[in-house]
Amino acid sequence: MSVYESSVKRPVLVSIAFIAVMILGIFSYSKLSIDLLPEFDMNMAIAIVTYPNASAEDVENYVTKTLEATLSTVNNLKKVTSTSKDNVALVTVEFNWGTDLDDAVNDMRDKLELVKMALPDGCSSPMIFKLSTSMMPVVIYSVDAKESMSALYKILDDNMSNPLQRIEGVGSVTIAGAPQREIVALVDPQKMEAYNLTVESIGGRIAAENLNMPSGKFYIGNESYTLRIEGEYKESEPLNDIVVTNYGGPIYLKDVATIRDSLQEKVQESYVNGKRGATVVVSKQNGANSVDVVNKINKALPSIKKNLPPDVHITEIMNSTDNIINSINSLKETILLAFVFVIVVIMYFLGQWRAALIVIITIPVSLIGAFIYLFATGNTLNMISMSALTIAIGMVVDDAIVVMENVTKHIERGAAPREAAIYGTNEVATAVIATTLTLIAVFFPFTMLGGMAGIMFKQLGWMMCIIMVVSTTCALTLTPMLCSIIYKRKQKSKGQIAAPKANVITKIRDIIQRQLDVLDNAYEKLLSWCVSHKPSTIIISFAVFFVSLLLIKFIGTDFIPRSDNAQISGSIELPAGASVERSKVIAERFYKYARENFPELKNMTYTVGTPSDDEDNSFALMQTSGDNYISFRMKFIDIADRKRDIYEMSDLMREELASYPEVAKSQVTPGGQQGGMTGGSTVEVHIYGFDFETTTKLANQYKEKMSKIDGLKDITISRKDYTPQFNLEFDREKLAENGLSVSSASTFVRNRMNGMTASLFREDGDEYKIKVRYAEEFRKNIEDIENITLYSSAGKPIKLSEVAKVVEKFAPPQIERQDRERIVKVTATLSGTTIDKAKLAIDNITNELSIPSNIGIEIGGSIEDQQDTFSDMGILMILIIILVYSVMAGQFESFRSPFIIMLSVPFALTGMFLGLWITGGTLNMMSAIGAIMLVGIVVKNGIVLVDYINLNRERGMSIVTSIVSGGKSRLRPVLMTTATTVLGMLPMAIGIGEGSEVWQPMGIVIVFGLTVSTLVTLVLIPTIYGSFAARKMNRERKNFKRKLRKENI
Amino acid sequence: MKAAFIAYNQAFVDEIEQILHQLSIRGYTKWDEVKGRGTKTGEPHLGSHAWPSKNMATLCVVEDNIAPILKKRIQALDNDAPEQGLRVFFWEIIDV
Repeated sequence: MSVYESSVKRPVLVSIAFIAVMILGIFSYSKLSIDLLPEFDMNMAIAIVTYPNASAEDVENYVTKTLEATLSTVNNLKKVTSTSKDNVALVTVEFNWGTDLDDAVNDMRDKLELVKMALPDGCSSPMIFKLSTSMMPVVIYSVDAKESMSALYKILDDNMSNPLQRIEGVGSVTIAGAPQREIVALVDPQKMEAYNLTVESIGGRIAAENLNMPSGKFYIGNESYTLRIEGEYKESEPLNDIVVTNYGGPIYLKDVATIRDSLQEKVQESYVNGKRGATVVVSKQNGANSVDVVNKINKALPSIKKNLPPDVHITEIMNSTDNIINSINSLKETILLAFVFVIVVIMYFLGQWRAALIVIITIPVSLIGAFIYLFATGNTLNMISMSALTIAIGMVVDDAIVVMENVTKHIERGAAPREAAIYGTNEVATAVIATTLTLIAVFFPFTMLGGMAGIMFKQLGWMMCIIMVVSTTCALTLTPMLCSIIYKRKQKSKGQIAAPKANVITKIRDIIQRQLDVLDNAYEKLLSWCVSHKPSTIIISFAVFFVSLLLIKFIGTDFIPRSDNAQISGSIELPAGASVERSKVIAERFYKYARENFPELKNMTYTVGTPSDDEDNSFALMQTSGDNYISFRMKFIDIADRKRDIYEMSDLMREELASYPEVAKSQVTPGGQQGGMTGGSTVEVHIYGFDFETTTKLANQYKEKMSKIDGLKDITISRKDYTPQFNLEFDREKLAENGLSVSSASTFVRNRMNGMTASLFREDGDEYKIKVRYAEEFRKNIEDIENITLYSSAGKPIKLSEVAKVVEKFAPPQIERQDRERIVKVTATLSGTTIDKAKLAIDNITNELSIPSNIGIEIGGSIEDQQDTFSDMGILMILIIILVYSVMAGQFESFRSPFIIMLSVPFALTGMFLGLWITGGTLNMMSAIGAIMLVGIVVKNGIVLVDYINLNRERGMSIVTSIVSGGKSRLRPVLMTTATTVLGMLPMAIGIGEGSEVWQPMGIVIVFGLTVSTLVTLVLIPTIYGSFAARKMNRERKNFKRKLRKENI
Repeated sequence: MKAAFIAYNQAFVDEIEQILHQLSIRGYTKWDEVKGRGTKTGEPHLGSHAWPSKNMATLCVVEDNIAPILKKRIQALDNDAPEQGLRVFFWEIIDV
């Protein structure tokens, strides 16, 4: 008993099985987390080695080069880049996408372990730092306060940071911009000298006094007691009375210093909508789901707010999940719309509610199965999985339609629905399985994609394969079962049927049927003409194809379409050496400008200044900062409520910033950093060369010329400017005479200027640093520095000016290297141009400039990813074409038929170029993937046509009759399945809601490609089939005649 | 006694069984899948790519008085849906 037979005979079993699938699917759906993209590992790790007191060049020569050499041998390596700064070497290893980062990092660690011995003495052990998505903040709050400002850090730490950290999935919570408490002893160097004291000795005294110590146990009788000395200060006040020395009587700390118990002197200041406040940055744990984490935070937030003082206000300034939720919601809308469109198409063509009902039931059943897969494999509901559903919606009905059509045919001939369902399904089962196989031939290779495209499309491939298999299973079991139940047997003879009541529905049905009949007849005529004018038809078609190839000229290439996530971030850099005060003025001016000119602005935060050394703020350390550096972040209202997109607004902001004479460099990044994947493309000029001067000059020349090219924005040079600084140049001989070394002398200087952390003050479980440093008035100018007193090993005081000179110098830039060569990168963001045009323009610049022979020039940026991905996709396309051809060759048991059918693929490209040209789209990763899918989708029509023409010929019809009648009878199914797919993709091509820009090109390519290819396929494929068949017949005739002649002779 | 050979489209299986049951014809021999083609009109039932449908055949031996009723019933069924294809042939049984 076949599957169809048993399912028709056991409707209860089949219904229960599918209901079970539905329930499991709905259950899985309710458990699925949502995210923007499937989870993937970042592909970078950084090795950090510190080499104290070495200059950037020394670091490069002794540390970086060694590290690079070993790290270049790790597996799956893509490239090694490095930055050598004073005291530290950072080597970034980039792996191929899809590499397991844990394995890769272990590999790195092994390699570094071997090379550790070869590093110079004094180097730290290499530290490996894995870059992961969890480092990106999921949500950022800004906090402003009035009276509580001075205690803000502690308030936030206790009442906000700690409760947030307890939430499952929250990785770290960092508070920035709120100064922390600090107890400082500000010493007067002259008094200190008078009493023969040093900063170190004072620090030592404080540490010695501020101490708790367990001192053992003692026994009284049978009882044991612990002895403990509690010398730690409970308040900061008694610190004043520490006896620091005896100088004819006790000298107290208050005699030589003032104790200040207040806030840190200088911190990074952050402003929220122009008001000073603190920012609280929340990042998630690795592997946690952003949306889940943020939902939990939002639940906890009201109770957190309740515990804060009334003047403390919390505002959310960045929420990475807004974009995710909006994107997923807009895709949900797209799916619903597609569903409605597909139903309309089915109703239009079939005109029967019974048929429509059967087909409509198969859609959710097939799609819901995919949720079980997502849940079982721990995946999320993301843009990829959702768009797989959108693509599938128009395809899952095809199998059901084919089955149903054949069953209906049997019923109309008078068979009972039950038998018609069994035998009708049996007849088309092979064809249904074969067409599904061609689609699997397209989508299965997706699951084997590597690299960046692999991350995006692996899941799509699995989803589509599963949906297709489920839909075919459904078509072969559920559909016949439903047919046998829902359909009624045809009435005995035509005379007996009571004429159906003439209501609106039947009238509409009649009109549609008449339209379709007209279409059938018109197509029949067209096809007859084409078959009798084969050469002209074929020539015209191919002429159209070749003309369409000319459109390529007008279509630019890109990597990933950019999308609008309502965020803009950026930075403003004043000339090196500018003070924080100057930076603040500029920042404020820019804020006012933004407020006035962009009513779309929801809120804006900016930070100015350098975070203090001991600030425990990993997020701040990751970012560039400096007194002359302002970084800002803006959040806008939803895209639906505003006219200008973030790219347009960014352009305006760039213009504004360019008009500030004080600004040395500025950068405006639409989408913010975390939108990296979809935030538009960049192009980079890589200048390789050893000599700083030549390469810097060249970089500046590139920058100047590139800024004249339209569409290149935010041109930046990666090499930092020389920054002014005062260097202490020690006379080593004199130092040695006094028994000092550079290191001990520099520690002296550091303790006086920056301060020495003497001890920790504990209060309520929190620790604060007790620092000793010179009072502010003694560290104001160069003389103050020169007057610093050092003590020789014999305890003799020496002025710093005796052993060192203070020289004003420009700090050499940090040295960047890539692929083991020095490099300068000139980066530009593309806005209003395409990658290929930008590349062409830059190539022209390269030709204009005279590049010395020892300098290498390369173009990188998005173009690298683009080329990698496109070559991956090219291979994929070839593989898929071969697979699809093989599946068809197997089905038709012929090499010729699949070849004829494959001829519809070029016309899919015609449609694709036409669509991109009309809509002004670009050839990017999404349109390329659309083109690949088209290969499988367009051949379906060809299969249906050729299969039926073959059938007619086997039934003994002549070539022309088989073609014309076959074509006519298959016109409706072809149009119907095409219309369901095209209309199913239409909402995606139109682009509804946030994030739709990313998928739009794919929608456009499929809609146009499939439409054009179907129209051409309908005439061209039968015509070519005719000419092949005619040639074959002529040859056979000739052979036969020759044979006859031979026999006669 | 007459032997009745009924060749019919698979889709008629239920109806034929019903007729045999109603006429109390208990004994029969049935072939589930047979191929065949009508002499004058009708689609062939060959189970091939071109003609995917298949026939079934039932051979039963009936009393002389039952034979005409069987013939009538089968013909009525055939007239209802002539496109399906259904024929019954009778032979004389000489010996049992």
